[in-house]
Amino acid sequence: MSRKPGTKRRRLAVALSAIFLAAVVLGTGPGIYLVNPDPADPNAAFTFLGLPLLYVWAVFWFFVQAAVVLVAYFTLWDGREHPDPPRPPSARNGD
Amino acid sequence: MVTNMDSTTITQANGVGLGYLPLVIMGLYMLMLLGLGLYGFLKAKGTEEDYYLAGRQQGFIVTTLTIMATFFSSAALLGVPGALYKDGVAFVFFALNLPVSGSAVYVLGSRISRMGRAKGYVTPADMLADYYDGSAMVRLLVALLGFLYVVPYVIIQVRAGGHLANQLFPNVPSLTVFGQSFDAFDIGATVLSLVMMVYILVGGMRSVALADVVQGSLLLSGMLIAGLAVVTAFGGVGGYFGAVSKLPPEALSLPGASGRYTPWSLMTVCTFAALASMIQPAQWMRYYAARSTQTLKRSALIFSTLLPICYLFGVMLVGLGARALYPPTIQDGVLTAHPVVGSFDQAVIAVLRNYGAALFGVAGAAIVAVIMMAILAASMSTADSNLHALSAVLTRDVYDRFIRPKAGQSERTWVGRGVIIAATLLALWLVRVGERNQGFAPLRMIIEMMYVAIAFSCQALPATIDVLFVRRGTRAGAVCGMVAGLVTVLFFTPLPTILLGGGAGESVVSTVDYLKKLFDIGFCGFVVNAAVFVLVSAFTKKPDRKRVSEFARIMRGVHRE
Repeated sequence: MSRKPGTKRRRLAVALSAIFLAAVVLGTGPGIYLVNPDPADPNAAFTFLGLPLLYVWAVFWFFVQAAVVLVAYFTLWDGREHPDPPRPPSARNGD
Repeated sequence: MVTNMDSTTITQANGVGLGYLPLVIMGLYMLMLLGLGLYGFLKAKGTEEDYYLAGRQQGFIVTTLTIMATFFSSAALLGVPGALYKDGVAFVFFALNLPVSGSAVYVLGSRISRMGRAKGYVTPADMLADYYDGSAMVRLLVALLGFLYVVPYVIIQVRAGGHLANQLFPNVPSLTVFGQSFDAFDIGATVLSLVMMVYILVGGMRSVALADVVQGSLLLSGMLIAGLAVVTAFGGVGGYFGAVSKLPPEALSLPGASGRYTPWSLMTVCTFAALASMIQPAQWMRYYAARSTQTLKRSALIFSTLLPICYLFGVMLVGLGARALYPPTIQDGVLTAHPVVGSFDQAVIAVLRNYGAALFGVAGAAIVAVIMMAILAASMSTADSNLHALSAVLTRDVYDRFIRPKAGQSERTWVGRGVIIAATLLALWLVRVGERNQGFAPLRMIIEMMYVAIAFSCQALPATIDVLFVRRGTRAGAVCGMVAGLVTVLFFTPLPTILLGGGAGESVVSTVDYLKKLFDIGFCGFVVNAAVFVLVSAFTKKPDRKRVSEFARIMRGVHRE
């Protein structure tokens, strides 16, 4: 049985929002504790493949966020579904 | 290429004077801005909508660059690398606020744009007040939040322009006019402000946005070229990261060398400050001005992807490279910039002055001058957009509603122009007096307010989210929430110490200092604001149902029942 297109879109929207939120929490929030080296620890690893570890962490999560935006752009952010409304006849509106 | 030589020696060896180039480039730049003002004037249709929103016809490139240029202040090219120079890699995470801000251009902007086009809104308060039963209180509060955001930005950018002119033209002799002496700082700040004022006055949004296109392009290229310069200075990517990896442990970990950056503070800044920046009046008006949802969709993509690249692989590398080149030292227990750099936010200038010109060969001096101009452009692009938005807010939300409700379109536009002239002259006066008298209280207060400006803007976020997505809040809820958020943010300013004095003031200061280390200030206000908003909305009268459904329909793109 095939699902309705609306349901599929909603699921994708939820999945992308969850990934984006995870990228915010892991990339800029408490997730940093997973990799943050302790300056007092003499054995702590401050680099990864010759690059500063935290820099690599930030770049990685940026690519995740950018990928989410790209997928949303091509699948969810659909201008055609919401045609723009007509322009108002007068500039003085919103009263 | 950088070796293990002493930095001062390298400076002396590679430093190349820029001569008259900055003056020539600055002159051409100012002429071009005036030309854009004239172009905007010739294209103008004389209506308020045209003056403030360029007839809601801005295309993709203009919209993208004007949103980006408005987003950047001089902090993008001075403050950001300065923070990396001071604290090390901890500040890199700041770049992750950009995909959040960029996404907001579509997620929030497209709905705002649709509503604006359907109902003819010009300012943020037009929309929020209209939704909450035309509430005058909502309008005033939203206008006040916008005002508190915009004013410090305009004044600080004028001041930054003066300081930059001082650096670009250190040998300019002082001028005496009517017995008043004007040095490079005064001349720079005055010329920049007056040129900016003229092109906003004559061309409105069209000229501001076109100037932003030039300024935004300068900024983006400046960021990338600065990054390229510093990597080249180390002999390539390998040499660069080799040197950066050898930075001291506190510069390669959180909370950074000054102990300022915790993951919670970074996360709340990257979320709430990012969203607050995207709903401030100048950005909000850019959503109204966009030609279509499709325009904002494309702008959001470019903002979310290109801008972080310019940060992560451009200007941020300069800050880290400067740390390797000119390590800061601890003096009397305080982290202090290297003498070659001077102060932390001068890291880019130090690197460019000492390496840029030599690295780029014949065109070196010109490229360095262009990057310096990009820093100036960053100041101007923020100031012009905010000045233009301030004019709209004061005219539409205050003058038109509470002073002269019967004012016609033409009168309002002229009052708006008067606001621009008055605000520019006042900003110039404050900056000039403040520069001569470091204890000048009004300017000091404004500088303090700058630190919480984004937090003020954040207090419009709960009501905005409610109107755009939830539509369950009430007018009383919105008013109480904004007041509660505003008061919370005011606790983070010097106001409690002034008002409460002594013991009570100190206990408030110690509490807010503790909270400041943990979270973004705007987030603290947002939590209180949202809680009060939800609570009050649960017990008060809902907005008119017809209006709520009308808003929902327009958001969905359905215009008739």
